[in-house]
Amino acid sequence: MADKYDIRMLSPDDVYFSRGNGGVLQGVVDGQPYDELIIYRAFPFRYTDSYISIRNAKDEELGIVKEIHELNEESAEELTKELQFRYFLPRVTRVDSVKFKSDLWLWELQTHLGPTRMAMRNLHEHLQYPGGGRVILTDMHGKRCEIPDWQALDAHSRRQLEEVL
Amino acid sequence: MNQDQLPQNLRNKDKDEVLFSVRTDLLSDGSFGEQWLTVTAQEVAVWGQEEAPNVRLPIVKVKDARAAGAIGGGMLVADTQDGPVVVARYTAAQTSTFSFAAKLISALAKQEELPVVSERDIPRTCPSCGNPLLDGTKVCPFCMQSSKLAARMLRYAKPYKMQMGFAALLLIMTSVVELAPPYLTKVIIDDVLQTKDMGSTLLLLILGLGVTMLLQSAMQTIRGLIGVWVGSKLMGDLRKDIYKSLMRLSLSYFDRRQTSQFIGRVNGDAEAMRQFMTDGVTYLSGEVLRIVAIFIIIFSLDWKLSLFALLPVPVMVIVSMTIWPKIERRWYQQWRSTFRLNTLVGDALQGIRVVKAFGREREETTRYEEANGVVVRNNIRMEGLWQFVFPIFGFVAGIGTLLIWYYGGRNVLHDRMQLGELMALIAYLGMLFGPLQWISQMISWANSAMASAHRVFEIMDTPSEVPDTHDPVPLGVIKGDVSFEHVTYGYEKHHPVLKDVNLQVKAGEMIGLVGHSGAGKSTFINLICRFYDSDEGTVRIDGVSIRDISQSDLRRQVGVVLQETFLFDGTIADNIAYSKSDATPEEIMRAAKIANAHDFIVRLPDGYDTRVGERGHKLSGGEKQRVAIARAIIHDPRILILDEATASVDTETERQIQEAISRLVQGRTTFAIAHRLSTLRNADRLVVLDRGKIVEVGTHEELLSKEAGVYRKLVDAQRELSQIKGVEG
Repeated sequence: MADKYDIRMLSPDDVYFSRGNGGVLQGVVDGQPYDELIIYRAFPFRYTDSYISIRNAKDEELGIVKEIHELNEESAEELTKELQFRYFLPRVTRVDSVKFKSDLWLWELQTHLGPTRMAMRNLHEHLQYPGGGRVILTDMHGKRCEIPDWQALDAHSRRQLEEVL
Repeated sequence: MNQDQLPQNLRNKDKDEVLFSVRTDLLSDGSFGEQWLTVTAQEVAVWGQEEAPNVRLPIVKVKDARAAGAIGGGMLVADTQDGPVVVARYTAAQTSTFSFAAKLISALAKQEELPVVSERDIPRTCPSCGNPLLDGTKVCPFCMQSSKLAARMLRYAKPYKMQMGFAALLLIMTSVVELAPPYLTKVIIDDVLQTKDMGSTLLLLILGLGVTMLLQSAMQTIRGLIGVWVGSKLMGDLRKDIYKSLMRLSLSYFDRRQTSQFIGRVNGDAEAMRQFMTDGVTYLSGEVLRIVAIFIIIFSLDWKLSLFALLPVPVMVIVSMTIWPKIERRWYQQWRSTFRLNTLVGDALQGIRVVKAFGREREETTRYEEANGVVVRNNIRMEGLWQFVFPIFGFVAGIGTLLIWYYGGRNVLHDRMQLGELMALIAYLGMLFGPLQWISQMISWANSAMASAHRVFEIMDTPSEVPDTHDPVPLGVIKGDVSFEHVTYGYEKHHPVLKDVNLQVKAGEMIGLVGHSGAGKSTFINLICRFYDSDEGTVRIDGVSIRDISQSDLRRQVGVVLQETFLFDGTIADNIAYSKSDATPEEIMRAAKIANAHDFIVRLPDGYDTRVGERGHKLSGGEKQRVAIARAIIHDPRILILDEATASVDTETERQIQEAISRLVQGRTTFAIAHRLSTLRNADRLVVLDRGKIVEVGTHEELLSKEAGVYRKLVDAQRELSQIKGVEG
């Protein structure tokens, strides 16, 4: 019998993910079908594509998928897509402007999911630096964007960021 | 009313009345874009730019709906007969709106009473610019002029307007007096020295020079003294206001922040604001005054030459305009890195035991060094910019002087101008560029002051999340009935810790709260104390909603003994009488006696006058706990809350505390949380919480008799544990 207090690592053969007609992630885990699955990143900053916690609709953990790319193609694709939905973290491709206007920092951003703007009350509580050139921006409402490596952005964006990071 | 009105073309498409509509900010594929969700009594639809809706879901097919929160966003999911369906996706900004939409759809599907939109469900935005409005304020930060910040800051100077006015008058006079010497010099050179006569006039003029110098020094001294006086007063007022705001804020504000940062803020930011208001404002107005006066004088001396003096001025303005925002940002950058460094030190020193225990001194030092390096780098960048600023201004000013020397000198050589006049012009020019250079100093003052003011007003403007009602219901002495009606609460709104909790407690009843850690026990009592406001449902005391009771009234009725006893710096007597500062010594002793604390306190060398708290005598955990119980006893609350009051003490002490508690709970409505279930023996009823829900309610015996009950499992688990302990012991 499996130990209740051990982490269950799911091997690529144990799981199969697909998308239901309603657009909800579903799948088969250990031969058991589930019409709704919830997933979490165990290390959202450090390992974005590894250690994915798979849970049923009641939020009970079924197991952990170690590497997404080890899964079969469809499963991997659906899992990646679901992660993008759940961890709404658009990648910033360009920083149009960072302005400090009347008590708020306003960011005009281009992301891989389209343009957006963010408003923050201050910088020291809304910017996170997980390491490297990575920056996580969180705005007043909890909306988040990610700059994977700010040094790698174009010159205009870097100029905008230089004064605020 | 919803700010985002449903577009007209969509409104006509549905013949049914639209009950609720909202604009999402995400498309179904998760990218940014606009869609509209409409809910009618018959169906739920999502509309994009196209004629036909993207999603169409008849209500009859829907069983339930929920807003599934994720990170940075979420999705509205409808559970249908054919399985769950994602209706719409949204970013975190709209979480509350979609939670409401889910509730509405769910109510429609289950044919229950429809919920009503409350203001809290809709994120408030500014009607003119669409930017988010902050809770509790109607002023849009964007449409508000930034000068309001300065105006608001200056409001602190209002009580001292007499003194400030006098200082301003002195300032005007000093400026005028300062302008006299060059003119007198001109007269001496042109009318006395050049003509070489009127010996007595020379003496008179020199006397005049001396008097102006004396006047100048005297007025500067007086002005300085007034400045110091007003400044200190202002600083005091500011600090008081900031501290008051901090005390007013709800607990959840502090939960999200490291407390160590506030100390620096309160002092540093108030100082920066004071500096600006006293020195900054007087200097600024004085210099402006002087510049205007100098212009008038030099123009009347020689207007053509004066035009040369004007040449560098626009350059100076442009330079300062481009440098201004740069400096502001670097200033803030530097402040942030220093702030991080301070937090690091604060954390490490507070956790010094952990650091030492794990032998991480070297790693902590490395961490400090890294942060320190950033501070050094930012410092160099910031100060480097400064080093750049002054020479540039100096150079530009120098060019103006050179021009005057050249053209003025030629005029003197050709006898079109007198030497004294040229000397006076050059002296005035020096005085003119002086203040212009000082304006950059003003920039720095204004910058740091604005940044500070911004942070300070941020604290002051943060609305308390548990606002006091405008017309509170007078309570008087309450009976102590407490009821929870459909109470849901989460520290993060989308992640409820308590879910739909219902409980009726009669006055004088003792309720034991039981459950695993994280089950919501502490949250439960935090809501009774109104440290937080429930997201949904109401907590009532004697039938009155807790939100309609003024907080001071409420606190008078509720007494708390917490797990972590905090004793303030002061004597034991002070600490016992914390909530009743006019308590007599007898009352204090009586309370201590009931709390089983009297005996040990009297045995202390300093008795009730023993200093406790951070710098005082170290009491043991059990002793502290009993002092805290005495504090609750003297408070004489109708409702008593005991949060793990007997945790982390030995059995004998626990017995003593138990005894004290059993005396304390007499005739009071009591809520007790205890890790050791045996301590809840005396409870009238036990409430078992599991994952935020009440799963069992009943007496110890009733619950124990349930074969597969949660409580029974807990008791069994503890019994097992204590048996193991027994063997070990």
